[in-house]
Amino acid sequence: KMAAAGGLRRAGWRLWRGRAVVKCQHCPPARALQASAALLRAPDEHKKEPLTSSSQQHFDSPPAGHQPEQEPRGTHHSYTGQGGQESEDYESEEQLQHRILTAALEFVPEHGWTAEAIAEGAKTLGLSVAAAGMFHSDGSELILHFVSECNTKLSKLLEKEQKLVQLGEAEKKPIDEFLRDAVEARLRMLIPYIEKWPQALSVLLLPRNIPSSLSLLTSMIDDIWHYAGDQSTDFNWYTRRAVLTGIYNTTELVMMQDSSPGFEDTWRFLGNRVADAMTMSNTASQVQSTGEAVVQGLMGAAVTVSNAETSRAVR
Amino acid sequence: MAAGLSLWLWRSRCRALLSRPAGAVRAHRGLAARPEMHFGFQSVTEEERREKIYQVFENVAKKYDVMNDSMTLGIHRVWKDILMHKMNPCPGTLLLDVAGGTGDIAFRFINYVRSVRQRQLQRKLKHHQNLSWQEIFDSYQKDQFNSLGDSQVVVCDINREMLKVGKQKAQHLGYSEGLSWVLGNAEELPFDDDKFDVYTIAFGIRNVTRIDLALQEAYRVLKPGGRFLCLEFSRVSNPLLSRLYDLYSFQVIPVLGEVIAGDWRSYQYLVESIRQFPPQEELKAMIEDAGFFKVDYENLNFGIVAIHSGFKL
Repeated sequence: KMAAAGGLRRAGWRLWRGRAVVKCQHCPPARALQASAALLRAPDEHKKEPLTSSSQQHFDSPPAGHQPEQEPRGTHHSYTGQGGQESEDYESEEQLQHRILTAALEFVPEHGWTAEAIAEGAKTLGLSVAAAGMFHSDGSELILHFVSECNTKLSKLLEKEQKLVQLGEAEKKPIDEFLRDAVEARLRMLIPYIEKWPQALSVLLLPRNIPSSLSLLTSMIDDIWHYAGDQSTDFNWYTRRAVLTGIYNTTELVMMQDSSPGFEDTWRFLGNRVADAMTMSNTASQVQSTGEAVVQGLMGAAVTVSNAETSRAVR
Repeated sequence: MAAGLSLWLWRSRCRALLSRPAGAVRAHRGLAARPEMHFGFQSVTEEERREKIYQVFENVAKKYDVMNDSMTLGIHRVWKDILMHKMNPCPGTLLLDVAGGTGDIAFRFINYVRSVRQRQLQRKLKHHQNLSWQEIFDSYQKDQFNSLGDSQVVVCDINREMLKVGKQKAQHLGYSEGLSWVLGNAEELPFDDDKFDVYTIAFGIRNVTRIDLALQEAYRVLKPGGRFLCLEFSRVSNPLLSRLYDLYSFQVIPVLGEVIAGDWRSYQYLVESIRQFPPQEELKAMIEDAGFFKVDYENLNFGIVAIHSGFKL
């Protein structure tokens, strides 16, 4: 029974991993296929009507500042029938949206997580500001995109570390140090956007966004536990998830209202919570510890929220 | 006596029109270059259609806004506001409003952009708390004369009368900067390629004789990343509502036209042209054919009106 549960757990983890990248909610898959069909037809169309303007507006890496739609049209004109090159110029709507959101991130510190930031991002890609209309006006997609990117970065980081350990070039960390470093690395990615992050958190809690944001959070937590390896703790799978989610969320909240240099208060708080979690695993029964983890998380959240309130009132 | 006679006349005409099979006429939807086109429920050639439609709007131009309010019970204002919120323009946007005649969309655009700009300036000011007073004063100078943030709207209409009414309205309401009025045909716009950020056509595409040409022109004048927005009467799918709507359209609106504008024929054309216009999915396919991506529509009031949106990517 335990082996089956373990196998199920691993399969579930793999599923979560696959869903870690948030897909665009607004693109029906059929349309992307239609777009690709339209573009693959392009060589024939071009031989007949070299001046056709439809469907040729895709571009993969436009030089900054130029009129990007001129360049791909130029390359298509010079297309002489070599099959391989055509597929490089193809880009789906999703990929374009992905690029716009990535470009928009640099404007977030100034404009916040809003449609304005997305509009500025679109402008840097040579698109009209109206392209921001493809996304929701409250910036949800931008935030979800950012969270998904951070999770991917964290995965890559953890994978690299694991490789080093496997190659024998680094020591395998004890579990509490590993968790602490992983959560710290993930939270450090928020530092450039820390001023506008509370706004992002509130948007992520909108009912519309909860499914996506929750799935991103749980996949990240699962990722961390996966790379932590099967080290001996007394947690079962659900407890582990709940504990680490509690630690992550409370540390994030503490970070929001932390004004110490280099966020040292936050990292100290994180260390304490991880240590508590480790001690907790050596006491009582598993059912009780799950409940305690949840309660501890709530207490921590309540404390930090009240701290945030008082500090904001003082400011 | 004469009024009674005319009432009886249009009533019988309505009944005759309603009983005419719409199938054969629906085949002529303005897609191919056939000589036979629809003008309401009549069958006419392309040239005739353009002529007739020009005359319709020439006649109704002065009473256009009053009639809009009375026919839709003022709801058309809400529809246009929803269109503006969907567009969510930021300052610096260049809007082309085609068949914009009396300027409803253009004025709403200016108001919207002005308020967004105000908020932008306020936010900039908050960030400037740690600047010196000299720098703050300099930024005032820079922004003072830019209340629209370089946004511009070009109102294009084929009908001189409608543009005249629009210009008068603008003067009356005090809109001066950021507005341009151009005489032009939606099927052949007098603008260069890749010029505009947003192209809107509100309650106008129904009157265009070759819709596919208009869509192609829209694609041409939009910048890459630009947005196409179309607000238009569309198909009501709910059968009960559809019957009530038909009743209202054919019984009430021409009467209002006669009473308020003195021209029931034009308003008869109006309601007939709504029935002749392609339904939501068909228009969506046509927009996709013109090359737009992420084409979608939003029904307002159960499909009485629909907003179609597409991007030039």
